[in-house]
Amino acid sequence: MSPSDHLAAELEDVWFSYEGHEPALRGISLGLPAGACTALIGHNGSGKTTLAKHLNGLLRPSRGRVLLEGQDIGRVPVGRLSRTVGYVFQNPDHQLFASTVWEEVAFGLRNQGLASTEIGQRVGEALAAFALESLAGAAPAVLGYSLRKRVALASVCAMRPRLLVLDEPSVGLDWRSTRQLMGLVEGLRQQGTTVVLITHDVRLATRYAQHMAVLEEGRLLQAGPIREVLRRFDALRAVFPSPPPLPALAAALAPDGALGVPLSAEEFYAAYVQLEGREA
Amino acid sequence: MSLNFDLYVEHDSWLHRLDPRTKLIFAVLSLVVLTSLVNIWIILAFLAATQAALISARLPRDRLLWGWRVLAPILILVPLLWPLFYQEGSALVSLWVLRITDLSLVRGVAVALRIAAMAFACFIPLLTTTQTQLVQGLMRLGVPFRAGLLVAMALRYVGVFYGSFGVIMDAQAARGLDLSQGNLFQRLRAYLPVLVAMLITCLRTADRVAMALEARGYGSARRRTVYHQLRLGPADWLALGLSLSALASLAFVRFAYGFGTHPWQL
Repeated sequence: MSPSDHLAAELEDVWFSYEGHEPALRGISLGLPAGACTALIGHNGSGKTTLAKHLNGLLRPSRGRVLLEGQDIGRVPVGRLSRTVGYVFQNPDHQLFASTVWEEVAFGLRNQGLASTEIGQRVGEALAAFALESLAGAAPAVLGYSLRKRVALASVCAMRPRLLVLDEPSVGLDWRSTRQLMGLVEGLRQQGTTVVLITHDVRLATRYAQHMAVLEEGRLLQAGPIREVLRRFDALRAVFPSPPPLPALAAALAPDGALGVPLSAEEFYAAYVQLEGREA
Repeated sequence: MSLNFDLYVEHDSWLHRLDPRTKLIFAVLSLVVLTSLVNIWIILAFLAATQAALISARLPRDRLLWGWRVLAPILILVPLLWPLFYQEGSALVSLWVLRITDLSLVRGVAVALRIAAMAFACFIPLLTTTQTQLVQGLMRLGVPFRAGLLVAMALRYVGVFYGSFGVIMDAQAARGLDLSQGNLFQRLRAYLPVLVAMLITCLRTADRVAMALEARGYGSARRRTVYHQLRLGPADWLALGLSLSALASLAFVRFAYGFGTHPWQL
Protein backbone atom coordinates (compact mmCIF):
# COMPACT_ATOMS: atom_id res chain seq x y z
CA MET A 1 0.00 0.00 0.00
CA SER A 2 1.50 3.34 -1.02
CA PRO A 3 1.23 6.42 1.20
CA SER A 4 -1.11 7.98 -1.41
CA ASP A 5 -3.80 5.46 -0.40
CA HIS A 6 -4.34 7.40 2.82
CA LEU A 7 -4.35 10.75 1.11
CA ALA A 8 -7.44 12.30 -0.45
CA ALA A 9 -5.21 14.63 -2.45
CA GLU A 10 -1.55 15.29 -2.87
CA LEU A 11 0.44 18.17 -4.34
CA GLU A 12 3.88 17.34 -5.67
CA ASP A 13 6.32 20.23 -6.06
CA VAL A 14 3.56 22.56 -7.29
CA TRP A 15 4.63 25.92 -8.71
CA PHE A 16 2.19 28.49 -9.99
CA SER A 17 2.43 32.09 -11.26
CA TYR A 18 -0.36 34.43 -12.25
CA GLU A 19 0.44 35.97 -15.64
CA GLY A 20 3.10 38.63 -15.36
CA HIS A 21 3.57 38.15 -11.62
CA GLU A 22 6.05 36.55 -9.23
CA PRO A 23 5.30 32.89 -8.39
CA ALA A 24 2.29 32.62 -6.06
CA LEU A 25 3.20 29.01 -5.16
CA ARG A 26 6.83 27.95 -4.88
CA GLY A 27 7.35 24.21 -4.87
CA ILE A 28 4.52 23.11 -2.59
CA SER A 29 4.50 19.42 -1.65
CA LEU A 30 1.61 18.55 0.61
CA GLY A 31 -0.63 15.58 1.33
CA LEU A 32 -4.22 15.93 2.55
CA PRO A 33 -5.08 12.94 4.79
CA ALA A 34 -8.38 11.33 3.83
CA GLY A 35 -11.27 11.87 6.23
CA ALA A 36 -9.45 14.63 8.15
CA CYS A 37 -9.77 18.38 8.22
CA THR A 38 -6.60 20.17 7.11
CA ALA A 39 -6.35 23.88 7.85
CA LEU A 40 -4.44 26.01 5.36
CA ILE A 41 -3.13 28.89 7.44
CA GLY A 42 -1.35 32.02 6.34
CA HIS A 43 -1.56 35.77 5.86
CA ASN A 44 -3.52 37.41 3.06
CA GLY A 45 -1.69 36.73 -0.20
CA SER A 46 0.29 33.79 1.21
CA GLY A 47 -1.14 31.46 -1.47
CA LYS A 48 -3.87 29.59 0.47
CA THR A 49 -6.66 30.12 -2.06
CA THR A 50 -4.31 29.69 -5.02
CA LEU A 51 -3.24 26.33 -3.59
CA ALA A 52 -6.84 25.22 -2.96
CA LYS A 53 -7.91 26.16 -6.50
CA HIS A 54 -5.45 23.56 -7.78
CA LEU A 55 -7.48 20.84 -6.08
CA ASN A 56 -10.49 21.21 -8.41
CA GLY A 57 -8.62 22.36 -11.51
CA LEU A 58 -9.63 26.04 -11.39
CA LEU A 59 -5.89 26.64 -11.58
CA ARG A 60 -3.32 24.30 -13.12
CA PRO A 61 0.27 24.10 -11.87
CA SER A 62 2.97 25.69 -14.01
CA ARG A 63 5.21 22.92 -12.69
CA GLY A 64 4.57 19.84 -10.55
CA ARG A 65 1.38 17.82 -10.33
CA VAL A 66 -1.80 17.35 -8.33
CA LEU A 67 -3.08 13.89 -7.42
CA LEU A 68 -6.66 13.27 -6.43
CA GLU A 69 -7.27 9.92 -4.75
CA GLY A 70 -3.94 8.78 -6.19
CA GLN A 71 -4.72 9.86 -9.79
CA ASP A 72 -2.95 12.74 -11.54
CA ILE A 73 -5.73 15.21 -12.41
CA GLY A 74 -3.68 16.55 -15.35
CA ARG A 75 -6.12 18.44 -17.58
CA VAL A 76 -9.34 16.80 -16.28
CA PRO A 77 -12.03 19.50 -16.70
CA VAL A 78 -13.29 21.39 -13.66
CA GLY A 79 -16.84 20.12 -14.36
CA ARG A 80 -15.72 16.50 -13.97
CA LEU A 81 -13.63 17.26 -10.89
CA SER A 82 -16.62 19.01 -9.29
CA ARG A 83 -18.13 15.54 -8.71
CA THR A 84 -15.28 14.77 -6.32
CA VAL A 85 -14.17 18.18 -5.05
CA GLY A 86 -16.64 20.71 -3.65
CA TYR A 87 -15.48 24.30 -3.31
CA VAL A 88 -17.34 26.83 -1.18
CA PHE A 89 -16.22 30.35 -2.09
CA GLN A 90 -15.57 33.01 0.52
CA ASN A 91 -18.35 35.32 -0.67
CA PRO A 92 -21.67 33.49 -1.07
CA ASP A 93 -22.87 36.19 -3.49
CA HIS A 94 -20.36 34.94 -6.02
CA GLN A 95 -22.28 31.70 -6.14
CA LEU A 96 -25.98 32.34 -5.44
CA PHE A 97 -28.18 33.17 -8.42
CA ALA A 98 -31.34 31.01 -8.37
CA SER A 99 -34.82 32.31 -7.54
CA THR A 100 -35.31 29.86 -4.66
CA VAL A 101 -33.09 28.07 -2.17
CA TRP A 102 -34.40 24.75 -3.53
CA GLU A 103 -33.31 25.65 -7.08
CA GLU A 104 -29.95 26.88 -5.83
CA VAL A 105 -29.22 23.56 -4.10
CA ALA A 106 -30.41 21.65 -7.19
CA PHE A 107 -28.10 23.60 -9.55
CA GLY A 108 -24.97 21.49 -9.10
CA LEU A 109 -26.99 18.27 -9.21
CA ARG A 110 -28.53 19.28 -12.56
CA ASN A 111 -25.01 19.97 -13.84
CA GLN A 112 -24.13 16.42 -12.79
CA GLY A 113 -26.97 15.21 -15.02
CA LEU A 114 -28.84 13.36 -12.26
CA ALA A 115 -32.45 12.15 -12.70
CA SER A 116 -35.13 14.49 -11.32
CA THR A 117 -36.20 12.01 -8.62
CA GLU A 118 -32.62 11.73 -7.42
CA ILE A 119 -32.25 15.53 -7.49
CA GLY A 120 -35.46 15.94 -5.45
CA GLN A 121 -34.26 13.42 -2.89
CA ARG A 122 -30.77 14.91 -2.55
CA VAL A 123 -32.04 18.49 -2.31
CA GLY A 124 -34.49 17.40 0.40
CA GLU A 125 -31.67 15.71 2.34
CA ALA A 126 -29.36 18.70 2.01
CA LEU A 127 -32.05 21.16 3.10
CA ALA A 128 -32.82 18.97 6.12
CA ALA A 129 -29.14 18.53 7.03
CA PHE A 130 -28.52 22.28 6.89
CA ALA A 131 -31.82 23.24 8.57
CA LEU A 132 -33.02 25.12 5.49
CA GLU A 133 -36.32 23.27 4.89
CA SER A 134 -38.47 26.22 5.92
CA LEU A 135 -36.59 28.45 3.47
CA ALA A 136 -36.84 26.13 0.44
CA GLY A 137 -39.05 28.61 -1.44
CA ALA A 138 -37.23 31.77 -0.32
CA ALA A 139 -34.97 33.79 -2.65
CA PRO A 140 -31.33 33.23 -1.56
CA ALA A 141 -30.35 36.79 -2.52
CA VAL A 142 -32.59 38.35 0.14
CA LEU A 143 -31.50 36.09 3.04
CA GLY A 144 -29.15 37.32 5.77
CA TYR A 145 -25.40 36.83 5.31
CA SER A 146 -25.01 33.78 7.56
CA LEU A 147 -28.00 32.08 5.91
CA ARG A 148 -26.60 32.85 2.46
CA LYS A 149 -23.34 31.21 3.56
CA ARG A 150 -25.29 28.18 4.73
CA VAL A 151 -27.19 27.94 1.41
CA ALA A 152 -23.89 28.16 -0.50
CA LEU A 153 -22.47 25.34 1.64
CA ALA A 154 -25.64 23.23 1.27
CA SER A 155 -25.61 23.65 -2.52
CA VAL A 156 -22.05 22.31 -2.68
CA CYS A 157 -22.59 19.53 -0.13
CA ALA A 158 -25.68 18.27 -1.99
CA MET A 159 -23.23 17.22 -4.73
CA ARG A 160 -21.69 14.84 -2.14
CA PRO A 161 -18.06 15.75 -2.74
CA ARG A 162 -15.47 13.48 -1.17
CA LEU A 163 -13.19 16.50 -0.69
CA LEU A 164 -14.70 19.78 0.51
CA VAL A 165 -12.79 23.08 0.32
CA LEU A 166 -14.04 25.94 2.49
CA ASP A 167 -12.53 29.34 1.69
CA GLU A 168 -12.55 31.54 4.81
CA PRO A 169 -15.88 30.22 6.14
CA SER A 170 -15.78 32.44 9.24
CA VAL A 171 -15.37 35.77 7.43
CA GLY A 172 -18.34 38.04 8.18
CA LEU A 173 -19.84 35.60 10.69
CA ASP A 174 -20.00 35.91 14.46
CA TRP A 175 -18.60 33.05 16.54
CA ARG A 176 -22.07 31.55 17.09
CA SER A 177 -22.86 31.41 13.35
CA THR A 178 -19.35 30.14 12.63
CA ARG A 179 -19.81 27.32 15.15
CA GLN A 180 -23.17 26.41 13.62
CA LEU A 181 -21.67 26.30 10.14
CA MET A 182 -18.55 24.42 11.19
CA GLY A 183 -20.68 22.01 13.22
CA LEU A 184 -22.36 20.99 9.96
CA VAL A 185 -18.97 20.60 8.28
CA GLU A 186 -17.69 18.52 11.21
CA GLY A 187 -20.71 16.23 10.75
CA LEU A 188 -19.77 15.69 7.10
CA ARG A 189 -16.15 14.99 8.07
CA GLN A 190 -17.23 12.37 10.57
CA GLN A 191 -19.12 10.69 7.75
CA GLY A 192 -15.84 10.48 5.79
CA THR A 193 -15.57 13.75 3.84
CA THR A 194 -12.07 15.21 3.66
CA VAL A 195 -12.13 18.91 4.51
CA VAL A 196 -9.73 21.69 3.54
CA LEU A 197 -10.25 24.75 5.70
CA ILE A 198 -8.70 27.96 4.36
CA THR A 199 -8.43 30.46 7.17
CA HIS A 200 -6.20 32.95 8.92
CA ASP A 201 -8.03 32.28 12.19
CA VAL A 202 -5.82 29.98 14.29
CA ARG A 203 -8.59 29.58 16.85
CA LEU A 204 -10.93 28.19 14.21
CA ALA A 205 -8.20 25.88 12.91
CA THR A 206 -7.32 24.49 16.34
CA ARG A 207 -10.96 23.79 17.06
CA TYR A 208 -11.89 21.98 13.86
CA ALA A 209 -8.75 20.80 12.07
CA GLN A 210 -6.59 17.75 12.78
CA HIS A 211 -3.85 18.78 10.38
CA MET A 212 -2.35 22.10 9.54
CA ALA A 213 -0.32 23.52 6.66
CA VAL A 214 1.25 26.94 7.18
CA LEU A 215 1.97 29.04 4.09
CA GLU A 216 4.03 32.18 3.76
CA GLU A 217 4.68 33.96 0.45
CA GLY A 218 3.82 30.88 -1.57
CA ARG A 219 6.07 28.56 0.44
CA LEU A 220 5.05 25.80 2.81
CA LEU A 221 6.57 26.64 6.21
CA GLN A 222 5.20 23.72 8.20
CA ALA A 223 2.74 20.89 7.65
CA GLY A 224 1.56 17.96 9.71
CA PRO A 225 -0.72 16.98 12.58
CA ILE A 226 -1.90 20.19 14.22
CA ARG A 227 -0.23 19.57 17.60
CA GLU A 228 3.12 18.93 15.96
CA VAL A 229 2.87 22.14 13.97
CA LEU A 230 1.81 24.20 16.98
CA ARG A 231 4.54 22.70 19.16
CA ARG A 232 7.02 24.48 16.88
CA PHE A 233 5.20 27.81 17.01
CA ASP A 234 8.45 29.62 17.68
CA ALA A 235 9.45 28.79 14.11
CA LEU A 236 6.20 30.33 12.88
CA ARG A 237 6.65 33.77 14.43
CA ALA A 238 6.45 35.37 10.95
CA VAL A 239 2.93 34.00 10.53
CA PHE A 240 1.70 34.13 14.13
CA PRO A 241 3.28 37.18 15.80
CA SER A 242 1.34 36.30 18.94
CA PRO A 243 1.35 32.51 19.32
CA PRO A 244 -1.88 30.59 20.01
CA PRO A 245 -2.48 31.29 23.76
CA LEU A 246 -3.03 27.78 25.18
CA PRO A 247 -0.04 26.05 23.56
CA ALA A 248 2.06 29.11 24.48
CA LEU A 249 0.88 29.03 28.10
CA ALA A 250 1.51 25.29 28.33
CA ALA A 251 5.04 25.77 26.94
CA ALA A 252 5.71 28.62 29.39
CA LEU A 253 4.51 26.60 32.41
CA ALA A 254 6.22 23.39 31.42
CA PRO A 255 9.17 24.04 29.08
CA ASP A 256 9.90 20.30 29.08
CA GLY A 257 6.62 19.77 27.21
CA ALA A 258 4.95 17.97 30.10
CA LEU A 259 1.66 19.77 29.43
CA GLY A 260 1.66 18.77 25.74
CA VAL A 261 -0.03 21.02 23.19
CA PRO A 262 -3.52 21.69 24.53
CA LEU A 263 -5.96 22.98 21.89
CA SER A 264 -8.86 23.83 24.22
CA ALA A 265 -9.30 25.09 27.78
CA GLU A 266 -10.65 21.66 28.76
CA GLU A 267 -7.55 19.92 27.40
CA PHE A 268 -5.30 22.39 29.16
CA TYR A 269 -7.14 21.91 32.45
CA ALA A 270 -6.99 18.13 32.23
CA ALA A 271 -3.26 18.16 31.42
CA TYR A 272 -2.58 20.65 34.21
CA VAL A 273 -4.50 18.67 36.83
CA GLN A 274 -2.70 15.50 35.76
CA LEU A 275 0.68 17.20 36.00
CA GLU A 276 -0.15 18.66 39.43
CA GLY A 277 -1.24 15.23 40.65
CA ARG A 278 2.01 13.69 39.43
CA GLU A 279 4.10 16.36 41.11
CA ALA A 280 2.13 16.10 44.37
CA MET B 1 -7.17 38.95 -10.06
CA SER B 2 -6.76 42.57 -10.79
CA LEU B 3 -7.12 44.39 -14.04
CA ASN B 4 -6.03 47.93 -14.64
CA PHE B 5 -8.47 49.76 -16.88
CA ASP B 6 -6.73 53.07 -16.37
CA LEU B 7 -4.90 53.89 -19.59
CA TYR B 8 -2.78 56.57 -17.93
CA VAL B 9 0.98 56.14 -18.23
CA GLU B 10 2.89 58.01 -15.55
CA HIS B 11 5.56 60.25 -17.04
CA ASP B 12 6.65 63.87 -17.14
CA SER B 13 6.25 65.29 -20.64
CA TRP B 14 4.77 68.33 -22.37
CA LEU B 15 1.58 66.35 -23.08
CA HIS B 16 1.32 65.21 -19.46
CA ARG B 17 1.81 68.75 -18.21
CA LEU B 18 -0.93 70.24 -20.39
CA ASP B 19 -4.16 71.13 -18.62
CA PRO B 20 -6.74 68.30 -18.97
CA ARG B 21 -9.19 70.82 -20.49
CA THR B 22 -6.78 71.53 -23.35
CA LYS B 23 -6.53 67.84 -24.16
CA LEU B 24 -10.28 67.23 -23.78
CA ILE B 25 -11.15 70.19 -26.06
CA PHE B 26 -8.65 68.92 -28.64
CA ALA B 27 -10.18 65.42 -28.51
CA VAL B 28 -13.78 66.61 -28.87
CA LEU B 29 -12.99 69.04 -31.71
CA SER B 30 -10.94 66.38 -33.50
CA LEU B 31 -13.90 64.00 -33.33
CA VAL B 32 -16.20 66.64 -34.83
CA VAL B 33 -13.83 67.59 -37.66
CA LEU B 34 -12.84 63.99 -38.45
CA THR B 35 -16.51 63.01 -38.76
CA SER B 36 -16.85 65.37 -41.72
CA LEU B 37 -13.73 64.17 -43.58
CA VAL B 38 -13.18 61.07 -45.71
CA ASN B 39 -9.96 61.97 -47.51
CA ILE B 40 -7.37 59.29 -46.80
CA TRP B 41 -4.38 61.70 -46.99
CA ILE B 42 -5.82 64.12 -44.43
CA ILE B 43 -6.71 61.24 -42.12
CA LEU B 44 -3.22 59.74 -42.50
CA ALA B 45 -1.67 63.14 -41.76
CA PHE B 46 -3.82 63.49 -38.63
CA LEU B 47 -2.84 59.96 -37.51
CA ALA B 48 0.83 60.74 -38.10
CA ALA B 49 0.48 63.91 -36.01
CA THR B 50 -1.12 62.02 -33.09
CA GLN B 51 1.61 59.33 -33.23
CA ALA B 52 4.32 62.00 -33.32
CA ALA B 53 2.73 63.77 -30.33
CA LEU B 54 2.52 60.54 -28.31
CA ILE B 55 6.08 59.50 -29.23
CA SER B 56 7.39 62.95 -28.32
CA ALA B 57 5.69 62.52 -24.93
CA ARG B 58 7.89 59.40 -24.52
CA LEU B 59 4.97 57.01 -24.17
CA PRO B 60 6.22 53.41 -24.16
CA ARG B 61 6.08 51.81 -27.58
CA ASP B 62 4.10 48.82 -26.27
CA ARG B 63 1.31 51.19 -25.16
CA LEU B 64 1.05 52.59 -28.69
CA LEU B 65 1.16 49.09 -30.15
CA TRP B 66 -1.58 48.12 -27.68
CA GLY B 67 -3.75 50.86 -29.21
CA TRP B 68 -3.16 49.51 -32.71
CA ARG B 69 -3.82 45.94 -31.54
CA VAL B 70 -7.16 46.99 -30.04
CA LEU B 71 -8.06 48.70 -33.34
CA ALA B 72 -6.81 45.84 -35.54
CA PRO B 73 -10.21 44.06 -35.92
CA ILE B 74 -11.81 47.33 -37.09
CA LEU B 75 -8.93 48.10 -39.42
CA ILE B 76 -9.36 44.68 -41.03
CA LEU B 77 -13.15 44.25 -41.00
CA VAL B 78 -14.26 47.69 -42.19
CA PRO B 79 -12.30 47.67 -45.49
CA LEU B 80 -13.43 44.07 -46.09
CA LEU B 81 -17.12 44.78 -45.49
CA TRP B 82 -17.30 48.24 -47.03
CA PRO B 83 -17.62 47.04 -50.68
CA LEU B 84 -20.77 45.09 -49.70
CA PHE B 85 -22.62 48.31 -48.89
CA TYR B 86 -20.94 50.90 -51.13
CA GLN B 87 -20.54 50.18 -54.82
CA GLU B 88 -19.99 53.55 -56.55
CA GLY B 89 -16.96 54.15 -58.76
CA SER B 90 -15.37 52.03 -61.47
CA ALA B 91 -15.36 48.29 -60.85
CA LEU B 92 -12.09 46.55 -60.17
CA VAL B 93 -13.64 43.12 -59.53
CA SER B 94 -17.19 42.04 -60.36
CA LEU B 95 -18.44 38.71 -59.01
CA TRP B 96 -22.21 38.02 -58.97
CA VAL B 97 -23.66 40.60 -56.50
CA LEU B 98 -20.24 41.57 -55.22
CA ARG B 99 -18.74 44.59 -57.00
CA ILE B 100 -15.49 45.91 -55.64
CA THR B 101 -14.81 49.43 -56.93
CA ASP B 102 -11.82 51.73 -56.60
CA LEU B 103 -13.93 54.18 -54.57
CA SER B 104 -15.30 51.52 -52.20
CA LEU B 105 -11.85 50.10 -51.58
CA VAL B 106 -10.18 53.42 -50.75
CA ARG B 107 -13.23 54.65 -48.85
CA GLY B 108 -13.28 51.48 -46.74
CA VAL B 109 -9.62 51.95 -45.83
CA ALA B 110 -10.21 55.68 -45.18
CA VAL B 111 -13.18 55.00 -42.88
CA ALA B 112 -11.20 52.39 -40.94
CA LEU B 113 -8.28 54.81 -40.57
CA ARG B 114 -10.70 57.56 -39.54
CA ILE B 115 -11.92 55.35 -36.67
CA ALA B 116 -8.27 54.81 -35.68
CA ALA B 117 -7.64 58.58 -35.87
CA MET B 118 -10.67 59.27 -33.66
CA ALA B 119 -9.50 56.62 -31.18
CA PHE B 120 -6.02 58.14 -30.99
CA ALA B 121 -7.50 61.64 -30.58
CA CYS B 122 -9.19 60.21 -27.45
CA PHE B 123 -6.11 58.20 -26.38
CA ILE B 124 -4.10 61.44 -26.09
CA PRO B 125 -6.00 62.69 -22.99
CA LEU B 126 -6.57 59.15 -21.66
CA LEU B 127 -2.90 58.10 -21.88
CA THR B 128 -1.49 61.32 -20.45
CA THR B 129 -4.03 62.42 -17.81
CA THR B 130 -4.87 60.83 -14.45
CA GLN B 131 -8.50 59.92 -13.81
CA THR B 132 -8.76 62.57 -11.10
CA GLN B 133 -7.49 65.27 -13.48
CA LEU B 134 -9.80 64.08 -16.25
CA VAL B 135 -12.84 64.34 -13.99
CA GLN B 136 -11.69 67.72 -12.68
CA GLY B 137 -11.18 68.91 -16.25
CA LEU B 138 -14.65 67.73 -17.23
CA MET B 139 -16.16 69.58 -14.29
CA ARG B 140 -14.29 72.78 -15.10
CA LEU B 141 -15.73 72.50 -18.61
CA GLY B 142 -19.20 72.63 -17.09
CA VAL B 143 -19.99 68.94 -16.53
CA PRO B 144 -21.89 68.70 -13.20
CA PHE B 145 -19.97 67.13 -10.28
CA ARG B 146 -22.41 64.24 -10.05
CA ALA B 147 -21.79 63.32 -13.69
CA GLY B 148 -18.02 63.72 -13.21
CA LEU B 149 -18.07 61.47 -10.16
CA LEU B 150 -20.17 58.97 -12.10
CA VAL B 151 -17.52 58.82 -14.83
CA ALA B 152 -14.72 58.43 -12.28
CA MET B 153 -16.56 55.67 -10.42
CA ALA B 154 -17.51 53.86 -13.61
CA LEU B 155 -13.83 53.79 -14.61
CA ARG B 156 -12.82 52.74 -11.10
CA TYR B 157 -15.31 49.87 -10.87
CA VAL B 158 -14.76 48.33 -14.32
CA GLY B 159 -11.69 46.56 -12.92
CA VAL B 160 -13.47 45.54 -9.70
CA PHE B 161 -16.43 44.05 -11.56
CA TYR B 162 -14.16 42.31 -14.03
CA GLY B 163 -12.47 40.65 -11.03
CA SER B 164 -15.86 39.64 -9.58
CA PHE B 165 -16.88 38.22 -12.96
CA GLY B 166 -13.81 35.95 -12.93
CA VAL B 167 -14.53 34.73 -9.39
CA ILE B 168 -18.22 34.07 -10.22
CA MET B 169 -17.22 32.11 -13.33
CA ASP B 170 -14.92 30.01 -11.11
CA ALA B 171 -17.62 29.55 -8.45
CA GLN B 172 -20.17 28.26 -10.98
CA ALA B 173 -17.57 26.12 -12.77
CA ALA B 174 -16.73 24.55 -9.38
CA ARG B 175 -20.38 23.42 -9.20
CA GLY B 176 -20.07 21.77 -12.58
CA LEU B 177 -21.34 24.54 -14.88
CA ASP B 178 -19.92 23.93 -18.35
CA LEU B 179 -19.83 26.99 -20.58
CA SER B 180 -18.07 25.32 -23.49
CA GLN B 181 -20.75 22.85 -24.58
CA GLY B 182 -23.73 23.20 -26.91
CA ASN B 183 -24.77 25.65 -29.62
CA LEU B 184 -24.68 29.44 -29.31
CA PHE B 185 -28.14 29.66 -27.70
CA GLN B 186 -27.35 26.90 -25.19
CA ARG B 187 -24.08 28.60 -24.29
CA LEU B 188 -25.77 31.95 -23.78
CA ARG B 189 -28.35 30.26 -21.57
CA ALA B 190 -25.56 28.58 -19.60
CA TYR B 191 -24.24 32.04 -18.73
CA LEU B 192 -27.43 32.83 -16.81
CA PRO B 193 -26.08 31.68 -13.39
CA VAL B 194 -23.01 33.85 -13.95
CA LEU B 195 -24.95 36.91 -15.10
CA VAL B 196 -27.58 36.76 -12.34
CA ALA B 197 -24.91 36.33 -9.64
CA MET B 198 -23.00 39.21 -11.26
CA LEU B 199 -26.09 41.42 -11.21
CA ILE B 200 -26.73 40.65 -7.54
CA THR B 201 -23.09 41.39 -6.69
CA CYS B 202 -23.20 44.68 -8.65
CA LEU B 203 -26.42 45.79 -6.96
CA ARG B 204 -25.08 44.98 -3.52
CA THR B 205 -21.82 46.81 -4.27
CA ALA B 206 -23.71 49.83 -5.63
CA ASP B 207 -25.86 49.91 -2.51
CA ARG B 208 -22.83 49.71 -0.22
CA VAL B 209 -20.87 52.34 -2.17
CA ALA B 210 -23.87 54.71 -2.13
CA MET B 211 -24.17 54.35 1.64
CA ALA B 212 -20.41 54.79 2.11
CA LEU B 213 -20.52 57.99 0.01
CA GLU B 214 -23.43 59.34 2.00
CA ALA B 215 -21.79 58.40 5.29
CA ARG B 216 -18.80 60.53 4.26
CA GLY B 217 -20.98 63.56 3.59
CA TYR B 218 -21.56 63.22 -0.15
CA GLY B 219 -24.11 65.81 -1.31
CA SER B 220 -24.09 67.81 1.92
CA ALA B 221 -22.02 70.75 0.63
CA ARG B 222 -23.67 73.04 -1.89
CA ARG B 223 -20.36 74.31 -3.26
CA ARG B 224 -17.48 71.91 -3.66
CA THR B 225 -13.89 72.98 -3.25
CA VAL B 226 -10.89 71.34 -4.90
CA TYR B 227 -7.36 70.97 -3.57
CA HIS B 228 -5.45 71.21 -6.86
CA GLN B 229 -6.69 74.19 -8.88
CA LEU B 230 -6.41 73.80 -12.65
CA ARG B 231 -4.80 76.72 -14.44
CA LEU B 232 -4.25 77.21 -18.16
CA GLY B 233 -0.58 78.09 -18.64
CA PRO B 234 1.23 79.56 -21.69
CA ALA B 235 1.85 76.06 -23.08
CA ASP B 236 -1.89 75.35 -22.88
CA TRP B 237 -2.78 78.54 -24.73
CA LEU B 238 -0.17 77.74 -27.38
CA ALA B 239 -1.38 74.14 -27.81
CA LEU B 240 -5.01 75.25 -27.83
CA GLY B 241 -4.26 78.06 -30.32
CA LEU B 242 -2.36 75.79 -32.70
CA SER B 243 -4.74 72.85 -32.61
CA LEU B 244 -7.85 75.05 -32.70
CA SER B 245 -6.63 77.09 -35.67
CA ALA B 246 -5.57 73.93 -37.56
CA LEU B 247 -8.87 72.15 -36.89
CA ALA B 248 -10.95 75.30 -37.54
CA SER B 249 -9.19 75.97 -40.88
CA LEU B 250 -9.73 72.35 -41.86
CA ALA B 251 -13.42 72.65 -40.99
CA PHE B 252 -13.68 75.94 -42.94
CA VAL B 253 -12.14 74.62 -46.16
CA ARG B 254 -14.19 71.45 -45.79
CA PHE B 255 -17.54 73.23 -45.56
CA ALA B 256 -16.72 76.25 -47.78
CA TYR B 257 -14.92 74.43 -50.62
CA GLY B 258 -15.69 70.73 -50.07
CA PHE B 259 -11.99 70.06 -49.35
CA GLY B 260 -11.35 66.52 -48.11
CA THR B 261 -14.64 64.99 -49.28
CA HIS B 262 -13.05 62.90 -52.05
CA PRO B 263 -11.46 59.65 -50.85
CA TRP B 264 -8.05 60.40 -52.35
CA GLN B 265 -8.07 63.61 -54.40
CA LEU B 266 -7.14 66.78 -52.54
